[in-house]
Amino acid sequence: MSFVETIIETCSQLPPFPAVINRALNLMNDPNSSVQEIVETIQYDQAITANVLRVCNSAYFGLRQSVGSLQEAVIFLGFSQLIEILLSGVSGSMMGKAVSGYDLEAGELWKHSVSSALLSQIISRRIKREQNPMLFTAALIHDIGKVLLNAYVKEQSETIKDLVKTKGVSFLQAEKDVLGIDHAELSAHIIEQWNFPQKIIQAIRYHHTPLLATSDQEAVYQIYLSDLIAILTGIGGGVDGLSYSGFEQVMHHYKLNEKDIERFMAQLGDQIQKVEAMIQVQ
Amino acid sequence: MKKIVGIADMEVCNDWKTGLITYSLGSCIGVAIYDPVAQVGGLLHYMLPESQIDPQKAQKNPFMFADTGIPLLFKEAYRFGAAKNRIIVKVAGGSQILDDTGFFNIGKRNYMALRKILWKNNILIKAEDIGGQVSRTVRLDLATGKVWLKYSGEVEKEL
Repeated sequence: MSFVETIIETCSQLPPFPAVINRALNLMNDPNSSVQEIVETIQYDQAITANVLRVCNSAYFGLRQSVGSLQEAVIFLGFSQLIEILLSGVSGSMMGKAVSGYDLEAGELWKHSVSSALLSQIISRRIKREQNPMLFTAALIHDIGKVLLNAYVKEQSETIKDLVKTKGVSFLQAEKDVLGIDHAELSAHIIEQWNFPQKIIQAIRYHHTPLLATSDQEAVYQIYLSDLIAILTGIGGGVDGLSYSGFEQVMHHYKLNEKDIERFMAQLGDQIQKVEAMIQVQ
Repeated sequence: MKKIVGIADMEVCNDWKTGLITYSLGSCIGVAIYDPVAQVGGLLHYMLPESQIDPQKAQKNPFMFADTGIPLLFKEAYRFGAAKNRIIVKVAGGSQILDDTGFFNIGKRNYMALRKILWKNNILIKAEDIGGQVSRTVRLDLATGKVWLKYSGEVEKEL
């Protein structure tokens, strides 16, 4: 087995994506399903429900009375907000720990993920695209590959950093040059294993190299921008820092300018407390 | 004690036992000010150059922008007894992504805004560490007035 195959093989060590969340996402995409059906799907998972209720009852959401069930949470927070909390909790269970190879402390990768997900909504509002729980999910898990690549990046940390410093290549390129695979590609492998739709797999595979995507450009571009703006803002910035490439073609595609980037950052800045409320490290 | 300054946030303090720290500065800029006589220090972590992009948000949180945050940082330090002619200013942050053609150069614009505001007010920068692709952490030690800078993945050094 080659070194790259050994790395890809580690994907099988990850727990499967929670089946109830998958069912809920499928129901959400089905126009004939009701909120009640989705709540019923989720409520039998006690760990997930407990986590959702804890976040709903945090000071940020400012509910007058505490909620004790998902039904109540839907009434007080609305369905879409409940789903955001639900999905963020799932990403936390997979990405909440420290990722030392990237110099990220516990909760930092999670914070970056939740920020990217909120940015995906901020951006889709601006470019007048439909707000899609699938895109929100893609933004939440786009960096899952870092969790597995972590050990290898740590081992080769000096070589990778040196390549970035002396050759001026992106951190992604340095990962690929040194390890034979980068975190975006590894993320895509993981998500393929979870049987996610092709659109999501593409968006995640090309989240640093959007111009290489040959299909699903809309999803790819939106995830690219969501991640990039979270990186610019510095949220969950690690050893890779801002060593990623900017592609103005993506901006032209949506007729966006530099002021739009600033507005996106300001809107995210406005939601930092929401991010903090959603990532309650247990 | 350690007080954390969040993103789009500020702290001013005159308790020498305190350290002010701000994490993960990307294109944002951290401004540390210190008056060694009054032993007053302040740290601002702003995100964007100009408040005119969103005046409503600037009113809600002036620390988000250079043009509204920097004056407040100084004003608050004066309120604690700092004097303008004694204040030492050190700044860090303003990183850039690669292949930047201008759309994403918030770091550069953040730095230009800072320079403009300080220059207009006759205030010099004593030390700075700006640009590059790194993620930075900045810490101001109120007992000594020293500012410590850490690049992600590297050891802390004095600025």
